[in-house]
Amino acid sequence: MNHRASQIVLATAIIAALALLAGEATTPLLYTAANTSTAAHVDPATVPKQTGRDADALIPLMGDLLSQTGTLTLNIKLKDYESAERDLARYAELSGRFDRLVINLDVSGTDIGEFQRNNRENLAALAALLNDTRRLEDLQRIEIDIQDDEGQRTTVIYEGETLQQKLQGGVTTYAGRENATIQIADRYGVNTTPYRESVRNYVEITGAVEAGGEKSPPSPLGIAVAPDTGRYGDTFSIAGTYAGGSPGTPVEIYVDSRIAGNATLDENGAYTSIYRIDRIPAGLHLAYAVAGAIYSGVTPFSVRQDDTAITLTLGEGEVCTGSLMTAGGRPVTLAPVFLRVDGSTPVETRTDENGTYRASLALPAGEHAIRAEFNAAGYPLNASESPTETIVVRNEGLSPLPFIAAIAAALGSGWYLRRRNRPEEKAPAAEPEESRETEATITPPQADIAGLSPREAATVLFWALRSRLGLPDTNTPRDCARLIPAHAGFFERYEQIRYAGETPSEEELRAMKEEALGGEERAA
Amino acid sequence: MQREAWAVLLILFLAGAVVYAHATTTTEEYSRYNPGWNGTSNLPAEEIRDLADLDPSTILLILAPDRPFSPDEVGSLRAFLDAGGRLLIADEEGNANPLLADLGSSMRVRPGNLSSLNRDHVNPGLFTVSVVGNDTLFAGVETARVNRPAAVEGGEPLLETSPFTWDDADGDGRISGSEAFGTAVVCAREGNLTVLGDASLFVNAMFAENPKFIENLQPIRVDGIHSRTGTKSPIINTLVWIRTTPPAGAAIVALGVLPVAWIFGRKRDE
Amino acid sequence: MTGAKKCYAATVLAAWLITIAFFMVLSRTLDLEVFFVLSLIGLLVIAVLIDGAFSRPRYMRHIGYLIAAGVAIFAYIVAQKILEILAA
Repeated sequence: MNHRASQIVLATAIIAALALLAGEATTPLLYTAANTSTAAHVDPATVPKQTGRDADALIPLMGDLLSQTGTLTLNIKLKDYESAERDLARYAELSGRFDRLVINLDVSGTDIGEFQRNNRENLAALAALLNDTRRLEDLQRIEIDIQDDEGQRTTVIYEGETLQQKLQGGVTTYAGRENATIQIADRYGVNTTPYRESVRNYVEITGAVEAGGEKSPPSPLGIAVAPDTGRYGDTFSIAGTYAGGSPGTPVEIYVDSRIAGNATLDENGAYTSIYRIDRIPAGLHLAYAVAGAIYSGVTPFSVRQDDTAITLTLGEGEVCTGSLMTAGGRPVTLAPVFLRVDGSTPVETRTDENGTYRASLALPAGEHAIRAEFNAAGYPLNASESPTETIVVRNEGLSPLPFIAAIAAALGSGWYLRRRNRPEEKAPAAEPEESRETEATITPPQADIAGLSPREAATVLFWALRSRLGLPDTNTPRDCARLIPAHAGFFERYEQIRYAGETPSEEELRAMKEEALGGEERAA
Repeated sequence: MQREAWAVLLILFLAGAVVYAHATTTTEEYSRYNPGWNGTSNLPAEEIRDLADLDPSTILLILAPDRPFSPDEVGSLRAFLDAGGRLLIADEEGNANPLLADLGSSMRVRPGNLSSLNRDHVNPGLFTVSVVGNDTLFAGVETARVNRPAAVEGGEPLLETSPFTWDDADGDGRISGSEAFGTAVVCAREGNLTVLGDASLFVNAMFAENPKFIENLQPIRVDGIHSRTGTKSPIINTLVWIRTTPPAGAAIVALGVLPVAWIFGRKRDE
Repeated sequence: MTGAKKCYAATVLAAWLITIAFFMVLSRTLDLEVFFVLSLIGLLVIAVLIDGAFSRPRYMRHIGYLIAAGVAIFAYIVAQKILEILAA
């Protein structure tokens, strides 16, 4: 009874343990010492390392950017335009790297972000400076060549006039950024001498240009921008007349050296075009028109800074949607939006025509914090970020492959074990047959085991029981156990004694003798 | 039966060893009986319990103090400093500020949530600072890793953070809102008095991060009364008391030996 | 009737399981998959060591099924880990 009870207890314990384990089977990692920390310190062994966010590169990069402006303006001043081109390309590359670093380090909201925005405007301004001064020099050469042709000469003069006005406007804005940039650079110990020099060079270049040109009559192509100030999303009307222009002439409108619109002269020689404020920085900008070869004068307009608001909603399947609007309710179209997951390197996406964006992220299982950010570099807008949303990603549905592997492994091991056991049954069956031949016919059970060694005694008892049960002599102990399950224990124990070299104890022999002769006593 | 007895004895012995290990260690922060990551059991320092007559040739470390200093103790420390001994106060919470005021120093510990971009780990409080100034403590060391330090005001700076450090007031791990970048000083000295704003440099887990600094510290003594290197566990305190008072040890041994001797004596009589 | 070998086998298996549990607690990481794989290795080693060439006691009769089930779960774990690595 005791034996039975202990078996039942063991069985219930096994089932309970397996049930508890099976309950945790879907999340096998029960516990890890992740991020152990107290108020005073964290355990550095449990904090993961991070890569790709090298803040040490920020200050040297800022220094490189400022020194690049110095060499670039120097080369322009010396009219070494090839070197200036190379400098400009390098400056653009460094600016791109700086932009990425600022976004990766998530410092857009600080004065580093302001430095980045100023740097972008500087880059655009210096590119324009290079192109304009080079064009002016070309024009001066052309002017000399075409001294006789009055018509062509006036067009060249008008273009020259436009370019000079552009340069004048450019100088004011470039110098206007000097103080803020130097203040930020000084705070971080960046060398600002090349940058100061670049401002002086810029002024010198523009001064030289102005002195070189002669006073010219105003251009016949007029231009006016209405209204003269606006915000992101506002539409300006750029219009003018070309006295003596032929109707149907195409007119190109430029804002800050980039083409901003097209128009055609109507029968009155007037043209009009709509310009929508999109991706240009806040501040003063210059617009001019070109009809055929005639350049108009330059007219300024200003763009005001505006605030933005960005929203973020998380949907099914880790899809993030949201909208980016200005404070005035205008959507910000085709703008880059960064989705930052768990404070690490962000994922870039873009808003569409309605100012909404949609992105689906590939996230591992677990809880994640997602935030949408708008960097606003190059826009007349302020940066904004959405509140952080948390998403819990569940484990995806189980794929069939592991189950197939498990079933295949079970079948394979079952087959292997079957194969391994089959020859074993054949071998013991052969052995007893040989030993059988050496012995005479078996006498009926006379289990006299006195004076025999324990193992021989067990053998005699086995023969006795086998013949008592009427089993043929060819049966091995295992066969007997299979045929007569009631005595299976006896036969199995005998099998161990005979073939595995175990020795039975006195009590065991006595029990075996009783079992072997038990039937006989009852029979007798 | 023999085998089972041996097995039982083995299990009892193992259980006894586990109980001993459990009872003689603790998980309190900064405790020298804490072999875990936030204990100071690996700090090779001698503990002293009396601030009078200190030897000026060693460095005295006051680690994360949480008890006030009496005027006598302040006087002893003053004498120690005047005799040429170096005093290193490592404090992250600002509890050492009254002591600093009493010692006549202008340095103060300003606790906060210093975070920096110059780091190798994801956690913004675990970052790198650079060594400025000339001091034997930081000889041969260019950068050190600190673990949620406090800023130190005043004195001559010895450890300075990078310019991209800010005090994360809202605890969101990034610079936002009204937080601004700035350089902070984490360790400063005034004569023989050095104030280190990061007591975490002495815990077991941080030893591997700043090995040269720990090497430069030797030989060092820890003020056992005021530092938080002790423990509240009565078992450990009793064991330490027994170890340090010879009469108590002798008494315990006598308690163990006398009954056995008496039993043997009785047996011989019979 | 209880063989000494059966006792030994069970004791050694239990000691092995306690050892691996001890080391997992020491390293502050409790992972069921690691525990299962290590215990399966222990079971296989013990099954090979106590298997007699000439007899198959009753407690060894059906260990084949247990081992097959263990290997099946092991194959499941391995396949899952491979999928995880491929997806990353």
